[in-house]
Amino acid sequence: MADLILDNIYLVLLLPLWLFLIIMMGRFFSVYVNKGVIYVLTLFSSFMGAMLCGSALWKLDAGRILENEIPFLKIDDFVINMGIHADRAALIFALVLFVVSFIVQLFSVSYMRDEKKSYRFFAFLNLFNFSMAGLLFSPNLFQTYFFWELVSVVSYLLIGFEYGKKEKSDASKKVFIINRIGDTALISGIIMCSYFLYSYSGNASLGSLSFTDMNVISTILYAYTSTPLFLLICGLFIVAAAVKSAQFPFYTWLQDAMEAKLPVSALLHSATMVAAGVFILLRLLPFFTLAGITLKIISVIGILTALICSICASSQNHPKKVLAYSTSAQLGLMFFAVGMLNIKAAVAFFAAHAFIKTLLFLTLPDKEECWNYWNFILFLLGGLSLSGLFISGMAAKEMIYAGLDGGNTVLAVLFCVIAFLTAFYITRIALVISHEYGLVKSMPDKIKLTSYILLILMNIGLYWYLRSHFEYKVAEPFWSALTAWVVVYILYVKNAFWKVPVLYPLSYNGFYLDKFYSETVVKLYHNFTGMLNKFETNVLSNYRPIVFCSKIPVKLVGLIEKEFMDGTVRLIAVTAKRLSRLDMKAQSGNIQRYNAYAFIIVTLILSCLIIAYIIMLSYIGG
Amino acid sequence: MGEITVYHYLFLGLALFVIGIAGSIISKHVIKVLISIEFILTGVNINFVTFATYCDTPKFDGYIMALFYVAIGAVELAVALYIFYLMYNKKQSENIEKYGDL
Amino acid sequence: MNGIENPIVFYPAAIVMILCGILTIYFKNIMHSLLAAVVVFFLAGMFFYVLGSEYNAVIQIAIYGVAVPVILGVAVMFTNLKRESVEDKKEKSSYLKYLVILTGGVFILAIIYLLMTSFVILPDSFTYALPEETNSLEVIGSFASGIFIRYVWAFELVSLILTIIAVGLTMFKRKERS
Repeated sequence: MADLILDNIYLVLLLPLWLFLIIMMGRFFSVYVNKGVIYVLTLFSSFMGAMLCGSALWKLDAGRILENEIPFLKIDDFVINMGIHADRAALIFALVLFVVSFIVQLFSVSYMRDEKKSYRFFAFLNLFNFSMAGLLFSPNLFQTYFFWELVSVVSYLLIGFEYGKKEKSDASKKVFIINRIGDTALISGIIMCSYFLYSYSGNASLGSLSFTDMNVISTILYAYTSTPLFLLICGLFIVAAAVKSAQFPFYTWLQDAMEAKLPVSALLHSATMVAAGVFILLRLLPFFTLAGITLKIISVIGILTALICSICASSQNHPKKVLAYSTSAQLGLMFFAVGMLNIKAAVAFFAAHAFIKTLLFLTLPDKEECWNYWNFILFLLGGLSLSGLFISGMAAKEMIYAGLDGGNTVLAVLFCVIAFLTAFYITRIALVISHEYGLVKSMPDKIKLTSYILLILMNIGLYWYLRSHFEYKVAEPFWSALTAWVVVYILYVKNAFWKVPVLYPLSYNGFYLDKFYSETVVKLYHNFTGMLNKFETNVLSNYRPIVFCSKIPVKLVGLIEKEFMDGTVRLIAVTAKRLSRLDMKAQSGNIQRYNAYAFIIVTLILSCLIIAYIIMLSYIGG
Repeated sequence: MGEITVYHYLFLGLALFVIGIAGSIISKHVIKVLISIEFILTGVNINFVTFATYCDTPKFDGYIMALFYVAIGAVELAVALYIFYLMYNKKQSENIEKYGDL
Repeated sequence: MNGIENPIVFYPAAIVMILCGILTIYFKNIMHSLLAAVVVFFLAGMFFYVLGSEYNAVIQIAIYGVAVPVILGVAVMFTNLKRESVEDKKEKSSYLKYLVILTGGVFILAIIYLLMTSFVILPDSFTYALPEETNSLEVIGSFASGIFIRYVWAFELVSLILTIIAVGLTMFKRKERS
């Protein structure tokens, strides 16, 4: 069935790549110096991406999958494909990606106006679109891995965008290195899977780990391998997802990632890139459903992260850090929903969180400016939505809560606590910013205002969609969040933010996890290298201690050293000096003399060859 | 004066090659050195074309190689002329010996 | 008549060519040596024609006979002609000079030896046949097949190098100006 949109879905991938190449190459050859052209093309590409994804989502039936693959790597009968594999989940994620990146690009047109190298920024945004779409549409785990790496490279490039500043380049390096843990875990899991399938299943095509036969793959793997091995593979995938999504033991990198510019933080580090972990969990769900304990681990990681990061966020004073911790917490809720097999809620909450968090980031005051009333009100609206009291955030959060079924009281209470804390920190930070920066009556410029309005429209649209398609009821988290707003307001009016003795320092320092890493891992590494260094300087480079260990060889060595070695060394030195004097004459820098040397040497080689040939001939003949 | 054989053409190429080598070593003017290098390439080209004509009749690979040599020679000339331009601006001299100080 | 084995065509042209080549190095005035070089390049083009490759002859005359001398002439005009041309200094290291001359002799001898013994070295199937009468259209056809089929990668590489040089020199000039 020929269909204009479904057949050309690969344009979603190729347009941003084309634009990235065009901007970088065009800059190199000094065409396309006009910034307007770059802006319009970039916006056009993400708009087209959003349109294509939206209409494909509209046209695609629920069970159907768009597939278009070409062989990329061939080793005997083992083939790795590249191409497109679009099902509903991927299309929803891609739709959110392109809508958010369209809005963020629109925002950064105004944000990066005074920046000199904004073309590079836009090129990287396009590259990000390409790599993220490639990750979402990848037909097998190998392509997922390629784009997984590409996404972290783009993140590195964008955080270190102003690479002249030391703290920014340091932060970009740290983020990249911590992300490597997840990459390593992912590639080891992929290789283990592929190896076992290739050697034991008897069907070589399964070894390429295509997503279409993920069910078969997981069943075969579960049947053929022992349980600990299967759990190890699942654990590696979970670690990869947890690192990408900044979950419990690894959430420290997200705070460093906040060194990036506002649009980058909004697009990469809160809305889309960090959701790649959730996405890969959804894709690998057949694995996790076979071993029930992994699902439990996922949900425990999620709820633990949500709790810890919410506590951490309630004492930070820097707005971006609060939002970073909040991102970790909300992603934890998504993990929790995936662990409870509440897929629809997870996806809905992903979309809602993307729109809300982008709104929150984009309304922050930037570059030490005063905050205007419009931004303040929009920030409060976003905060209301994030805490689950208003439009899309409310619907999605209640959907997650409904997945609990009220069966587990501990989880329900934890959920309410998290909702309370979320509402608490988001309101607190709004009041803190307004107090610190002061509020000014002025309008944000037109482009920024357009992006805000688009975001709010998206939120309302999502709310309308969720409301019409899913049933939900207003439940306990709503009331706990409402209490939090009231509490914060009362505390603010009374001006009574006190610091709880034990919890405050713990929370302010992010549960000392970053310090823990630097104290253990980094210090261990330093100690180890220092030890090696000491060993080398004290023992290896100074041979005398070794020599003095034994008495008899000493005299022998001394004799040899004095009589023989010294003489040799002197000989070498004199020869080297004479040679160097000769060489100095030769190295006159005169080109023609070099030419002559080259000619003489070539002729020498040629005549030597001929003489050798003649000698050989004479031997053969005689 | 008998018939002209393949050796005559090969010796012609050799002569041009040796003249080029000698010129590139002896002459002091940069432009002369460049011309000598072109002589070398031309000598090699004559060699190529001769061999192609005499022993490679259906395919003529030597002609194509000669074509590539002309292209590479043009590239080399362009780079050399640019270097000459820079050095001349720096030293105000076209004597190649003055370019030698490292 | 077939010029390829005609001594009346070959000997005068070869003598003039070698003479002009030596004169190119001998002349003190750079313009004179440039003119002598033009004669050498034109005669090389003529030899290509005689050997049966019109295409190579055209390329040789168009690029080496016309374009290169013009560019070199522009470069010479760019330098200051009024000043005394490069004065001949005494060769500083005479031993090098003798060494080079000796090596040149050895080189020529080696090449002659190689050419003369090539009958022995080469396999039997490889013989110096006299060239057949070839149609010039055939030559062009084999050119095309060589460039576009057998040596297509080398051809693309050469064109890439040309492009890189053109763009690179332009960039250099641009950077210099700014």
